[in-house]
Amino acid sequence: MERKILIVDDEAHIRMLIEQTLEELEDEDVEFLTAENGEIALDIIQKENPKLVFLDVMMPKMNGMEVCRRVKKELGLEDVFIVLLTAKGQELDRQRGQEVGADVYMTKPFDPEVLLKKAKEVLGIE
Amino acid sequence: MARVSLKNIAGKKNEVNAAILALINQLEEPTWIEDENGNPIAGKRHETSTSSYPVNLDNEIIGYVKGDAHAGTIANLLTHLVQKEAEKKKLGTEVLNLYQELNVIYNFSEQLTRTIEPDKIAQLTLEQAVHSIPSHSGAIVLWNEETKQLTIPSRSGETLFNEDRLRNNPGLLLKIGLSGQSEIMNDISQLKEKGIIEKDVQSLIYAAMKVKHRIMGAIILVGKDVEQYSAAHLKLLVTLALQSSTAIESAMLYEKNIREAREREEAMLRIHEVTKKFVPNEFIRSLGKETLTDVKLGDQVEKIVTVLFTDIRDFTSLSEKMTPEENFYFVSSFNARLGPIIRSNNGFINQYLGDSIMAIFPDDPVDALNAAINMQKEIHELNEERKKNHLHPIKAGIGMHTGSLIMGITGDEHRMDACTISDTVNTAARIESLTKYYRSPLLLSEHTLQYLNEENNFHFRHLGNVRLKGKNNLLNIIECINGFDDIQFEKKMQTLSLFNKAMNAYRDQQFETALQGFQTIHSGDPDDLTTIYFLDKTKKYLREGVPKNWSGAEEMMSK
Repeated sequence: MERKILIVDDEAHIRMLIEQTLEELEDEDVEFLTAENGEIALDIIQKENPKLVFLDVMMPKMNGMEVCRRVKKELGLEDVFIVLLTAKGQELDRQRGQEVGADVYMTKPFDPEVLLKKAKEVLGIE
Repeated sequence: MARVSLKNIAGKKNEVNAAILALINQLEEPTWIEDENGNPIAGKRHETSTSSYPVNLDNEIIGYVKGDAHAGTIANLLTHLVQKEAEKKKLGTEVLNLYQELNVIYNFSEQLTRTIEPDKIAQLTLEQAVHSIPSHSGAIVLWNEETKQLTIPSRSGETLFNEDRLRNNPGLLLKIGLSGQSEIMNDISQLKEKGIIEKDVQSLIYAAMKVKHRIMGAIILVGKDVEQYSAAHLKLLVTLALQSSTAIESAMLYEKNIREAREREEAMLRIHEVTKKFVPNEFIRSLGKETLTDVKLGDQVEKIVTVLFTDIRDFTSLSEKMTPEENFYFVSSFNARLGPIIRSNNGFINQYLGDSIMAIFPDDPVDALNAAINMQKEIHELNEERKKNHLHPIKAGIGMHTGSLIMGITGDEHRMDACTISDTVNTAARIESLTKYYRSPLLLSEHTLQYLNEENNFHFRHLGNVRLKGKNNLLNIIECINGFDDIQFEKKMQTLSLFNKAMNAYRDQQFETALQGFQTIHSGDPDDLTTIYFLDKTKKYLREGVPKNWSGAEEMMSK
């Protein structure tokens, strides 16, 4: 079965970092998709049906909270596992994250080991 | 770093894969792609291949394109793509390493802010260092400036250091810990020879811990592998060391501050213990404060109080007969007898002034009067003892006045004095000195009387008005007779109404009536000195007439 991970962040280096962090999953036939804003992300989610989404909260156009809310609440894609990412010091209310249906909430700079572990866990690898 | 695989580039459903497949399909000869082990990646495998073209990455074959000469072009293209992908990954890995480092430093800083114990910070630092820079053993050595000794607050991993030798070898630390340098040590043979590190140690890295230009010590890590440490490790260790140094310095300052604050508090407590003998707690409490240390310069409170002064009569002549030592002993024992009486009657001693005492009764004037009467009784007892020892009896005068009083702290920051500022104190002192004038042991002002509950067991003789020196208002002076010994008290009780009548006549300039009254009293109680005083006055006015504008008030020309 093909497994897809979508990485959504408006900063290119963060997308690259996450991809690099998850590099070893490539050998497990995991496909990486990226999006630089919320609108594109929403589009990809509907078309590609990724299993896991790393979603930055602070983004122009449509922020991560809104993307999450639409995916989970409006589109009813509850099986998409969403990890919300936000910068340290800008921690949003965890409750708000829960309200929009996020599965996990992480802060940046993230610990690469934690991120990889979470991805493996969600995808059922190892 | 995961290797770049041909499969990931050309074998998965992506743009490259689609383009390659389209290209292969256009070729006449069957062409396909295999990995280095011959597993198919893209295109249909054919048994009758003519040529095999390798795909290289860093001079290593990672796969083949098989087919005719066109396959060679595709192999070149793939080699190029693989190379690009490898470069991208390499860059990505480096950025990720930097990011990981950033994350380590970030988390480390966060942990440091939660710790205020120097040793704990050292432990935390070492744990972080060993975790981020894989090592077999590590230690933090700190130089204690006060004791001029090395301490090892933290160690980790295997026992590859000989702590005693490390501690007792400041020479090494001069090289490592106190040089302010950080390096990957190339030659560790000397350290092994001296037995400071174990024989199986192959690598050593250290970073100085310093704040500004002061060197505090070092973090030392050792490993059993050759060339275990890289320049990146050194950079990270230096960063950890610097952060840790600042945190340890702050923690030490904090500890020092706490210690000093505690010492100050203890010192203040001792001062408080001493000063409360001089500045009574009641005084401090009357300012609304708990302890002397809470009192600030300028703190004050205004209150209606009764001020009592007592003074040993003819103390000067009494003291002339005593040595300074005897004098001191006498005054101390006298005060020691009166102090408790004041305190047990809700009063407090504001000041000891040699042979006199100033006391304040903040609540009820009755307290002051009770205290005064008991003090007089105490003096009677003292005199009984003195009589047995063939000593002259002591006489003391007590005067009191009730009025508003400001109690507060004056002075400057270096010396604070509890003080009482008020005309009330002044007036009370003057009334006390009137006891000499009227030859009465206990006098009070009309103001004190006014505050007394009418139902009391005190008995008073009204001595008329006085005008104190420098004052405009007249002050009615009253004598309380309850303090006399039983015989004297009885005599005065019997003539009380006669005395007050005689005083009224005296004030109204009916000196004949007054004379009669005072003479009657005097004949029955020849020891009544106050009566003698007024008897003499009456006789004088009868003889000489009263001065012009005589109001009946005594004009006090001296203080």
